[in-house]
Amino acid sequence: MSAPAIVAQGAPARIVGVLAPGGRAALIVLAALAIVLLFLGPIVILVVTSLRPGWAVYYIYRGTAFTLQNYLDVFARPAVVRAFVNSFVLATLATVLSLGITVTSGYMLSRFDGPIPRTWFGTIYLFRTVPYISWVLPLYLVDYYFGVYDTFAGILLPHIAVHICFFSWIMKGFFDGIDPSMEHAAMIDGCTRWGAFRRVALPAAIPAIAALAILSWLYTWNEFLFALILTGHNTALITVTMAQFVTELGTAWNLMSAMAVLAMVPAVLVTVFAQKYVIRGLRI
Amino acid sequence: MAKVALEQLNKRYGAVPAVIDVDLAIAENEFVVLVGPSGCGKSTTLRMVAGLEDATSGTIRIGERVVNGLAPKDRDIAMVFQNYALYQHMTIYDNLAFGLRNRRVPEDTIRREVARAAEILGIGDLLARKPRQLSGGQQQRVALGRCIVRHPQVFLFDEPLSNLDAKLRAQMRIELKRLRERVATTSIYVTHDQVEAMTLGDRVVVMRDGRILQQATPLEIYNRPANRFVAGFIGAPAMNFIDVSLARNDGRLAAEAEALRIRVPEEQAAVLERQPAQALTLGVRPEHVLIGDPRPENGTGFDAAIEVTEQLGAELLVGVRVAGTIVIASRIDPWAKLGLHQKIRLSLDPRGLHFFDRESGEALR
Amino acid sequence: MSLRRNGLLARLGEKERFALLLIAPAASVLVLFQIVPIVIGANASFRDWQLYNPKETWIGLAHYRYILSDPVFLTVVLPNTFLLMFASVAISLVLGMALAHLLNWNFRGHTLVQTVILLPQMIAPVIAATSMRWTFNDQFGVVAAFLRAVGYGQISWLAERWPSFLIVLFTDVWIWAPWFALILLAALKSLPREPFEAAQIDATGRWRTFTHVTLPMLRPVIGVCVLIRSIDAFRTFDQVWVLTGGGPARTTEVFSIYAYIETFVNLDFGRGSAAAIVGAVIILIVAWTMYRAVDRLANVSR
Repeated sequence: MSAPAIVAQGAPARIVGVLAPGGRAALIVLAALAIVLLFLGPIVILVVTSLRPGWAVYYIYRGTAFTLQNYLDVFARPAVVRAFVNSFVLATLATVLSLGITVTSGYMLSRFDGPIPRTWFGTIYLFRTVPYISWVLPLYLVDYYFGVYDTFAGILLPHIAVHICFFSWIMKGFFDGIDPSMEHAAMIDGCTRWGAFRRVALPAAIPAIAALAILSWLYTWNEFLFALILTGHNTALITVTMAQFVTELGTAWNLMSAMAVLAMVPAVLVTVFAQKYVIRGLRI
Repeated sequence: MAKVALEQLNKRYGAVPAVIDVDLAIAENEFVVLVGPSGCGKSTTLRMVAGLEDATSGTIRIGERVVNGLAPKDRDIAMVFQNYALYQHMTIYDNLAFGLRNRRVPEDTIRREVARAAEILGIGDLLARKPRQLSGGQQQRVALGRCIVRHPQVFLFDEPLSNLDAKLRAQMRIELKRLRERVATTSIYVTHDQVEAMTLGDRVVVMRDGRILQQATPLEIYNRPANRFVAGFIGAPAMNFIDVSLARNDGRLAAEAEALRIRVPEEQAAVLERQPAQALTLGVRPEHVLIGDPRPENGTGFDAAIEVTEQLGAELLVGVRVAGTIVIASRIDPWAKLGLHQKIRLSLDPRGLHFFDRESGEALR
Repeated sequence: MSLRRNGLLARLGEKERFALLLIAPAASVLVLFQIVPIVIGANASFRDWQLYNPKETWIGLAHYRYILSDPVFLTVVLPNTFLLMFASVAISLVLGMALAHLLNWNFRGHTLVQTVILLPQMIAPVIAATSMRWTFNDQFGVVAAFLRAVGYGQISWLAERWPSFLIVLFTDVWIWAPWFALILLAALKSLPREPFEAAQIDATGRWRTFTHVTLPMLRPVIGVCVLIRSIDAFRTFDQVWVLTGGGPARTTEVFSIYAYIETFVNLDFGRGSAAAIVGAVIILIVAWTMYRAVDRLANVSR
């Protein structure tokens, strides 16, 4: 790492420590170790548990019996497989459908000022503040009334609504950072406003849209409350199916953890491979 | 107040050298300006003196002490930054008092020092405000005040006027000079603006690519630049350069280029005769390019066509095409009737001729 | 509403019409899934509406009176919710700030630590809660094994109110301290370095530099983060549901669970809706107050 890069960082990195350099290095290593232990620990424990056969689960740190049988058992259950398929379909559908809407929403918030954007801003903000339970409870009845309870349609739109309210900010923040003069130039060059958006702003926004897609997808994949209230057997999703595992199998932690580990796979993939995108979208 | 000595100072970032073999001795109360283009190493040198960067090799002395390993706070220095670096959430008074409070100076001493600094800089009625409420010039004065209250051995300035607009910059230059009269301290001042360098420095140090090219008084740098870069960097409008070759003409040495023959004055001819190289560059400042040929016996006259004029109000600048390049003449009467494409006779003041080796850029004196 | 639109449309310029067009689909989704359900919920909250017997007769404020005098709601649910909110945000902020500073030092391996920290944020809260539940299992969990090894004996974490609450709090901090850490880290990296150098020259100690230089510059970011996280913390559901289900004996119940239980366990849709509305009003007031405070303190707007 070149020295100019060091120099260019935030200054706290340069402040001379109280301890001798050796002492400070030791402290940092200790702290880093503690952090890794704290944040990785529970997950590692879960993974290890999923690799232990049923009888060894109770003392997972002793013995060396490891097996993949749990995963096979879990996949043998049609309920589980269906849950994974359903979650995947829902997450993908919700993301694809909400992507366009969220991008335009963020763009509008960035490029325009006046009563309309301000009202929209307030609306989204309001929607973010109102607790989910307050509008999902009645939604249960609405779904029943329209016959879409326990169907994809019934749960798709609430997710899209959340995507809009949570993730418009990513796009707004991103567009705020792009000089609007390029779009003005495009309009002078003969584009409509929509054309300027589509041909100039949008292509530049691809990294932010990637972040948006990843975060939206993960949100729906991980979501629990809507799934709990608005789904039944037909559209069972993994988060709910997993929670029900506990009663269904007693406390067969080996199977439960196997399913949990499988459910974590997208998150782990994203963390390892798409870190940059996600961190950019985590602001706000 | 102490001397500052930089001995064989070097700074490398990995394999990239930023400061190379800098030797500089600054006398007590001397105001030295480091000037040069971006990336020449002047800021890095300053920051090494401040202790914000570690030197790769070489010694830095403040007074008699070698300060190489010392933290900035232990070097008895004060610094003014380009971005003022005021503490935004404290009042001006607290900004000024902060450094003293950290050093456990008693409050009444602090009050005295702040009052004195405020009086010198004319910021007495701003003491209760926050930096956000001040203009750029006022903020910079507060930054200066922070230095004054500390009574350090050395003042360090890192391009303090660069963030101000041109008019304000001119005002602040004058303020800085006045400040020097009241608070004389050894100072190192970094800037890329050669006007600041010339007007503020007791001594000017021109740097480029990490090295010192020349260190001398402003007038010396202006009249006897050591190489082509220094000659072209200092002075505005910049010095004119024409590639010439030497030739003998009637037993006298002349510098020749296309449609140009300038007789070399006696003293310089003696020096140039000894040069093996024949490829030279002639440098002449715009004020030494004269309209008309009042002394034809100098042999420095030539004809050229006007390609551009610039009306400055106080003077007229005229650019003529000579030997493939544009030569600017300055200090011309603004009412002179000189128009584009006009063919005129010009001459060069023989006292203002500089010769440089075309390859090395070194001045031949 | 449509009348207003018609009158407005005539006066709207091309720019405004484009802006409206941009958000038309999003706005329709929101209207359908915000206003309509909330109106229905509000309507239901004034009616006798059991899920098995939807008489829907108007009973006025009876539900609200019940809730606002329900000792469980007043002495357990609300305090729990606010306590969780304040404690989680405060601890996450402090821990996140420390983490951010540590990561800012760019020691070898800091990218690994950064990656590890991201994981709690990416996995489902129910999975996080599940793994915590297993880790703290009072017989077979790793923590229990550790306690046995040091001779401490057994702690039945999830059998009593405050140990359970502690686990819930721990889980919440585990998930959200990284969020603070990553945002604060980005903010730290974007700070100009001159004030810090000036502080160095001014002989400022490290702690003083933090309190007098770093913190003031970070105030806007901290304000926004605290505001957003507080609002989200109020409506926590997933972690509590998986860890304790609101138990033991409803002692760790938080507001979202209270409303859920009224509707789907007690099957009283009317009362559940009323509870949901009460919670919504409370958080709206709290959010509004906090927004003003943050706005003033940190000069954050829009």
